[in-house]
Order: sequence, then structure tokens, then C-alpha cells
Amino acid sequence: MRHFLRMFLSRPIPLAGLVIFAVIVALALLAPLLFARGPFTIVGMPLLPPGAPGLLVGSDVLGRDMAVGLAYGARISLLVGITSTLGAVGIGVLLGAVAGYYGGWLDDLLMRVTEFFQIIPSFVLLMVLVAFLQPSLSSTVIGIALVTWPQVARVVRGEFLSLRSREFVQAARTLGMGDARIIFTQVLPNALPPIIVVGSMMVGSAILTESALSFLGLGDPNLLSWGSMIGGSRSAMWVAWWTTVLPGVAIMVTVLALNFIGDGLNDALNPRRRR
Amino acid sequence: MEFDRRAMLGAAAAGVFAVPAWAQAPGATARQRTINAMMTDEPAHLNYPLFNTRIMQEICGNINESLLRFDWQFKPHPNLARAFEMSPDGMAYTFHLRPDVRWHDGVPFTARDVAFSCGVMLPQLNPRSRNAFSHVRAIKVIDRYTVRFDMKQPFNAFLLSLMASSAPMMPAHIFEGTNFRTNPYNFKPVGTGPFKFNRWARGQFIHLTRNAHYWRPGQPGMDGIYYRVCPTPEQRLVAMESGAVDFAMADDIDTVVNSRMMANPNVVARNDAFNGTGEITVMEMNHRRWPFSDRRFRAAFMHAIDRDFLVKAINFGLGKVATGPIPSNLPYYDEKALVKYPFDQARARALLDEMGLKPGRGGVRHRFAIMMIPDGGGHWTRGAHYAKQALSEVGLDVELQSTDWPTFSRRSGNWDFDVDCNSYGQYGDPAIGTARFFLSSNIRKGVPQSNIQGYNNPEVDALFHKAAVAVDSAEIQKHYSRLQHVLTRDVAMCWMFERQPMFFYNKRLKDVITGPNGPADGFGSVRLA
Amino acid sequence: MNRLSYIGARLLKTVLITVAVVLLSFFLVRLAPGDTATVMAGQAGFADEAFMKSLRAEYGLDQPVPVQLWKYLSAVAQGDLGSSFVRRQPVVDVILERLPNTLLLNAFALLVAIAGGVAMGMMAARRPGSVTDASMTVLSMVFYAMPQFWLGMMAMLMFSVWLGWLPPFGLETMGADYTGLARIGDIAVHMVLPGVTLALYFMASYARLTRTAMIEVADQDFVKTARAKGISEGQVARRHILRNALIPLITFAGLQSAILVGGSVLVENVFSWPGVGTLAYEAVTTRDNPLLLGIFIVTAVLVSLFNLVTDIAYSIADPRVELGR
Repeated sequence: MRHFLRMFLSRPIPLAGLVIFAVIVALALLAPLLFARGPFTIVGMPLLPPGAPGLLVGSDVLGRDMAVGLAYGARISLLVGITSTLGAVGIGVLLGAVAGYYGGWLDDLLMRVTEFFQIIPSFVLLMVLVAFLQPSLSSTVIGIALVTWPQVARVVRGEFLSLRSREFVQAARTLGMGDARIIFTQVLPNALPPIIVVGSMMVGSAILTESALSFLGLGDPNLLSWGSMIGGSRSAMWVAWWTTVLPGVAIMVTVLALNFIGDGLNDALNPRRRR
Repeated sequence: MEFDRRAMLGAAAAGVFAVPAWAQAPGATARQRTINAMMTDEPAHLNYPLFNTRIMQEICGNINESLLRFDWQFKPHPNLARAFEMSPDGMAYTFHLRPDVRWHDGVPFTARDVAFSCGVMLPQLNPRSRNAFSHVRAIKVIDRYTVRFDMKQPFNAFLLSLMASSAPMMPAHIFEGTNFRTNPYNFKPVGTGPFKFNRWARGQFIHLTRNAHYWRPGQPGMDGIYYRVCPTPEQRLVAMESGAVDFAMADDIDTVVNSRMMANPNVVARNDAFNGTGEITVMEMNHRRWPFSDRRFRAAFMHAIDRDFLVKAINFGLGKVATGPIPSNLPYYDEKALVKYPFDQARARALLDEMGLKPGRGGVRHRFAIMMIPDGGGHWTRGAHYAKQALSEVGLDVELQSTDWPTFSRRSGNWDFDVDCNSYGQYGDPAIGTARFFLSSNIRKGVPQSNIQGYNNPEVDALFHKAAVAVDSAEIQKHYSRLQHVLTRDVAMCWMFERQPMFFYNKRLKDVITGPNGPADGFGSVRLA
Repeated sequence: MNRLSYIGARLLKTVLITVAVVLLSFFLVRLAPGDTATVMAGQAGFADEAFMKSLRAEYGLDQPVPVQLWKYLSAVAQGDLGSSFVRRQPVVDVILERLPNTLLLNAFALLVAIAGGVAMGMMAARRPGSVTDASMTVLSMVFYAMPQFWLGMMAMLMFSVWLGWLPPFGLETMGADYTGLARIGDIAVHMVLPGVTLALYFMASYARLTRTAMIEVADQDFVKTARAKGISEGQVARRHILRNALIPLITFAGLQSAILVGGSVLVENVFSWPGVGTLAYEAVTTRDNPLLLGIFIVTAVLVSLFNLVTDIAYSIADPRVELGR
């Protein structure tokens, strides 16, 4: 573990990722303390440029303070990114483990299902799911988890396929351990590193997907997210660049930080890639 | 009325009007006598009565004409009918048709076409026409060029229901006895209008050419019209600024950038092109549910929202605060009859207190949902966001629900909502466009755009009936004045603002908007400036 | 397994998967609330029972779901994908009208992505750990971290609005009605912004794959032998290393084929590109179920075929790979 930490923190890119990410998390958590007003409060005329009195980065199409929106937007992005990834990892680990461990028709079935997801345009599928569930925070999270779990399942299945015939598993079996216990206490811990790496990269892509849904107006209208800020000021782009540029930069920086961290995890956990 | 450009210039963002190289309209000279219009999305077909949307009106208004035409005061004038008269008791209307009108395929236009259109095709396909012609007992073809409508009872809105978009004349020789929904001419329409259908390049454009045998002398003034597909608002703005298209109507250009359009010296801006529709933006409440069933709650709702701010800031000044069911620029509007609800949040709080809706935890008195109409983040969505803020100041906690069209229509039709955002058009006469939202007979589950609120007031039912069948104009006005009083007293609906959607056209053209029907009257009069 | 019987087996699998796609999506699209009749009623602003009833009857929406399913399945089996509710045209025609635009844009984007990504990856792999390597890695990660729709908007803002170099919207210049070469040039110019926007995102993956593969291969014996023979570094990289790095690239390109065919909803939306992606978006928001199902089916079939092609390409690139494993 200490080796892992040294490995991870000794390189500049993951370290930078971690620092940036910490700042964003702090901003998200402290938003209500930093700003007296909520993100939806109208404070002035629409489309005031950055630097207008009391408006550090300008106002949006409704005359709301963009700075407040950017801070509160971080909450939604992080919340959706993390919870939907947890959901996808949960489903993926469970199904991938069962398929990889037992093999046979279960494995076949899972592989067919994951193929289905590769073949159908997943964003269109997601739009259908969100339309069915009605746009809200929970339907965004559920929808993203439902279209991304097969990625995790494939990885987990692969790991289980190669681990299930190893000696320590055989040993556990001869000791009379039940399947469920073997899966969760013996095999899963050994399959964790690739799951962590995949998961860390998925948080970033879930944030991007959330922003895309919100951009198209399929997000929760009661919550201000970076994607909905861009979508809502789409027409204003031509007259007020800051309304679309700034939320996009916020998304990019967040996802970049997460990917830096993921990259570091990958290097630290996957000795083969270490160079 | 041409929009006061100077007033808007102050608000105009610093737009650069130098047109970049990629946006130069090509071959400008060859296209001089051609109009370039745009479509936000492509219609499914060009059968006017089958699907009556704004884009259909703008295209088919050039192809299929109506018997009458209306001036700015909504007075009828001859069109395909050269003369018309009403019997003194209001029980019969006779129309004398022009004998020189031919369909685009050369077949003469006769009384048979009128009888077929108004008696068969329109009532079968278009709900708005069905409503109007339900007052007709029989349509009699007197001779080749004379037709008489016998009424079941007097219906004083009858002539106005012959406005172009409600009653386009359709060719009997093409549609009679066929399946109207699958007739191949739905894709190559035939009419009597100044332009005739030429070509439809799917996904790109619809092209109409001049009708050389048009009956109105000196028209059309141009050689043809291209309607080009422009799906995104940014694209439409650029197309208009670069001169690639000549017209931008209603919601083609997002109100956010209207100021930029108005500051453009090459563009003429009109805010009266849709007066005929008389559109009012509203919030509808589900009167079956408490507290929306309580008049005091609805009044508090109105007092809590600064509708002046809604118009000025949220809608960038395009419109007027709505005061009641009838738009202020249409017949029968009576300001003296109205009960008004000015912005007064203290009054709103007092009304809520009186109802027993006291502030609870976090100052919240009541929670409910506003279902938004899918307008792609346009003025409705922005208005709903503003309303949520304003209502929170009086202790009402609103959950906004975004929808797509299927969800919106389904839920509103099935009365599955607290409050929704909507708008309605009066289409000239209250009996045509307004009554349907308040008549108890129009409470019909499963049908969107009906009396989905469940507003039920026998006095209102009776007044609408009396107003529609009265023959004497003073009597009609009396009933409609009383109606406006009762409906505003009841807060029968939350009227937000009267929309005045803009119509922009390139200043190289003139005589574009000649009446309250705007583009729905067709572009026969348009000529080079 | 020989190549022919392998292809036969794969085709059979494609058919089975397509049937599964049809069945699943048939029920999925019906879960969403509301139908096309409600859409039309809402948009027309006027409606009554007769209007809704006649629309539903026309679309067969008034029949029991099993009957609808049976009718649909038997039509699809005969190659008939039905008619679009909204457009009232055969679904096949509607899709075929858009498919070439999407394929064109995405093929262009794929080429740019591979060319750019391989170049970046090779530069980075030349001296692993160097400043060039680090900056290439960071750059490709930046592109990977941007929301595609936003990148597109920014590109539009910069190259169309501020610099005025490139057209921001559509497939061709509106109203120009070019023909022949002029038209091809016009379309090519319009393709630059959406194409590069799509490409930058994938470029990151190709750069990374190339870099990893090249570093791994560079240590292997046959490369060392080649170097020992005195072959120049450039030739080693091209002839030996790159060829071996091709396999993961092909695999990845194969995985991307769903996007290639299905189109990018967002990029097409931002640039008003008349492709399958914008069509799918329209189909979802108007509950045009036959159209949406048709898009799913056409995508499924084409992606399966693309995967087959990449598998074969795979076996050609590396004869050690056995088909069907």
C-alpha cells in the first residue's frame, strides 16, 4: 500500500489531478457558505459581461450570477459522476463475477447482453431511458448506470475467468467454502485493481454524459448543472461568449483531473505499464 | 407597425455585422426575384387541413386560399368570394365566388369545391374547423358560383372562422372520395394561390414557383419561394444575418438574440405579423386538486409573479402583460371589465395566510410542481424558472418538471399535473380560440389543448353561448365584457403575457406583412423594395 | 475454423442479435409516456377526440400490443421497416437519405483521428518520459476531457464567428445549389469543423494506444534484431513497430463502428449535420417508434457487419490470430 501511494504521488500528473480535484470538491461542498444566494436567484439584467458590478464572471440569460451557478454545478457533476459509476460498478461486478466464475450458458448470456449494448447507439438508448423515466437527477443516474455497466462486466468477467482456476481458489473450494464467499472474499479482492482503474475513468465519462443530457434539456430542471448552463445559453453564444465558454471549461478541468488520477492509478496498479 | 429600432439598440449586444466569407449569399443577382424562407423542421406533408401548424400556414398559405381576407380591424374582405352577405336573422351566409379562379392544374374553382372543403374535408381533418362548422346545418350549392351556408343557430364568429389558416379551400376533384391522409397530392399540393408547388428535396428545401395564371392582378410579385430546412436557432440567426434567407418568423430566432436582429440595418422587424392568432402565454392549474381549486390561491399566484419583469427581462421586451382571457388588441377586449392582479407579494402572502397556508419549515407554505412545455429552453422555460424564483419569495416551493411533447400532451390531456405552462391563440374571435379552454362541455379527458384545468362555471358556459349566437353587436360586446369580468374575478387561468412574436424580413423586400394573418396570408403581395 | 464457415456462423449470430434488438427495443420505446398522436395534438394547438382517434387508428396504435408486435415482426421479416409516423415516408427511405451523410462525416473523422493519433503516439513513444511525451499525453487527455458538443461550439465560435474561416452549419451552403466539383468542395469545407470535433475526441485514444503498443513492441526481440541489422530508426518504426501496433488500433476502430454508423447525436445536433444522429434525436422526442426501431435495426446490422470486417482485417494484419477464437 505504501508502495502504491509512493508510486502514485511521485508523479506530477496524478498529483496535479488530485490537487485540482480536491479544489473542485471543496468548491462544491462550500458553495452555500461562499455565496449568500442560491444559483437560481436572479440578481440583475440578463447577459451582463464578466466584471460587471458584483458579477465576477457575468450573468446568464436569466440574469443569474454565473459564479454561483458554476460552484453549484460542481455538486451535480460530481454527484452524478460518482453515484452513476458506483451503480454501474455494482451491476457490472455482480454480473461479471457470476458469469466469469460459473461460465457456461450464464457467461454466454452475459456476453450476448454486452454485445447488445455495443451494437445499439448507447446515447440514443440513454435518451429513450430518460424519456421513459422522466428527466430528473435520479433518472440521469439510473440511465447512465444502465448503459455503462457492461464495460465493467466485461473487465470483471475477464479477471474472474483467469482467476477462477488458480490454486488459491481451488484451495478455498476444497476447504468447503461456498461459492458466494469464494467470489467475494477470494477472487474479487484480486480482481480489484482493474476495476478501480475502469471505475476512475468512468466517473469522468459519466460527467461528460450528464452534461450532454442536460445540454439537450434532458436533465433535472430544478438543478443547475454545467451542461444545462451551456444548453440554456446556446443561442446567447453569439452575443455573450462567457455563458457557454465558462461552464465548458469547468467540465473539462474536472474530467481532466479525474482522468489524471485514473492514469496514475493505472500506472501504480498495473506494473506492466510502469515505465 | 414597424418596431422601434432605436429603443432596442441600447440593449443590443455588440454585434459585428461584417459578414464573413463563408456566409456570403452566393449568386445574389440570379436569386433576386426569389424569396428564401426557412423551416425549423420539415413538415410531414403539405396537406393544409391535416396538420395545421405555423410552418404549414406559412407554406400552404401561398397555395391554398380562403374565401375571405381580413384587415387589421378583423373586418372581412372579398378574396375567393367576390361578395358575401348574411341574412338579417344570422341564419344564412351566402358567398358569390369569383368566376375566374382556376386550380393550379387548370380545373375551375367552383361552389362544389367550397361545399366539399367546408362540408367534408375540413371538418373531418382539422379540429379547429370542426368546431366552427359544427354550427352549420347544411351547405347548399345554389349554382356554379354561389354557395349558401344554413346555420343551426346564429354564430357571429362564422366569418372570422373563414380566416385563411382555419378554412383553406381544398380541390374537390383531387380529394373527393379518396383517403385524405394517404392521397399522393399531400406531397404535391394543388391550390388556387399565388404560388404553386414545384419541388420538394427532402431534408433540404421545398420550392414553390409563381402561378402565372393567378386571379389577382399584378401578383405574385416574385418568381418563387424556397423554404429551406434550418433546424437549430443559431443556424437560423446566421442565415438571416448573412442574407441567405429573407424571412425569420416567430420562434425562428431566439428572443435572446432578438436585440441583435433588431439592430441589424438590413432587417425590418415587425411585431404585428401574428396579431390574428392573438397568442397569450398562460399557466394552467388543475382545479381538481387543492389548493389550485381555491380562487385565493390562484390570485396569490398572480400577485406573486412580477409579470412586467417577465416581459421586460425574461422575454426581452417582446410582448405585453396579459390582463385577461381576450388579447388586448383583438375585438371584444374590455379593460374596464377586468379584475386585475398587480405584482404585490405582500398581498399574495396575506391571501395564502387567509387560506391557512402558513409558512412551515424553511418558510415553505406549500410544495407543488410546474410542468414545463418543451420549447428548447425558450421563453416558456425561462419564464418557468423565473416563476419558481418569484413564488419561492412568498413561500411556495416549486418543482419544475421538464417534458418532451409526448409527455406534455399526455399528462396535460390526462389531467396529471399541478400547474403547467401553455399558451393559446384566440384566432380572431373568442368563440373560436378562447372558449374551448373555459367551457365545461370541453372538459374531455385524454384530449390535450381542451379545458384541461377542469374550470366549470355555468354562468360562463351560458355567457359564451349567448355571446356566440347574438346578432346585435352591442349585445355581443355586453356578454363578452361580463365574461371577462367573471373569468378574471375567478382567476380562471393565470394569464402571463400576450406574446408578440417578431417577424423579420430582409429590407430588399416590401409588402411582406399586409394583414393580421401575417405569413399565413401568403406572399403574393411581396415585391422587391 | 475456416474463414467461410466462420463468416456463416457470424452472419447467423448477426441475425439472432438483430431479432433480440427488435424485440427489446420494441418494448422499450413503448415504455416512454405518450405517443405520436399526442405529439401532433400538442403541436397543432387544437385537438378533440376524433382527431386523436383517427391518428391512432392510422398508426395502428389502437390495436393490442401483441398484434402490433406481430404485424411489425412479420413486416420486418420481409424487409419492410414500416412508415415513419411523423414523416409519413418509408423508414428505409428516411434512413438511407441520412446514412450517407453520417458515414461520410464519421469516416472522415475516423481517418483524421487515426492519422493524428498515430502521429502523436509515435512522437510520444520515441522518447518515453521526455517533455514531448508528457505534453502529448496531456494534450490528448485534454481533448478527451472536453464535452464534444462544447468543443464543437467553441470551434464554431472561434473559426466561424471570430475568424470567419469556416462555415458553421449544415452539409452545404444554403441556396447555393452547387453541382459537380463545386458541390464536393462545398461539402468538404462544411465537414471540417464537425469532423475535426469528432476526431479530436478519438484522437486521444489512438495516441495512447499507439504509444503503449509501440513502447511494448520496441522491446521485443525482432525489433532489437532489426536495429542490430543497422536498419534506420524511422524504418524500424514504420516497418516493424507500427505494423505490430496496428492490431489494437484495428480492435479499437472496430469497437467504434457503432458510433460510426449511429452517428453522434450531439455533434450532429450542434452543427445541424443532417445525419442519423439528429434523426434518432427527432425520433425519440416525437415518439416516432417505427423510425427509432428502424435506426436501431439498421445500426445493429451494419455494426455487426463492420465487426466482421474488422475481425477479418485483424487476421490479415496478424496471421497468428485465429478467426473464431
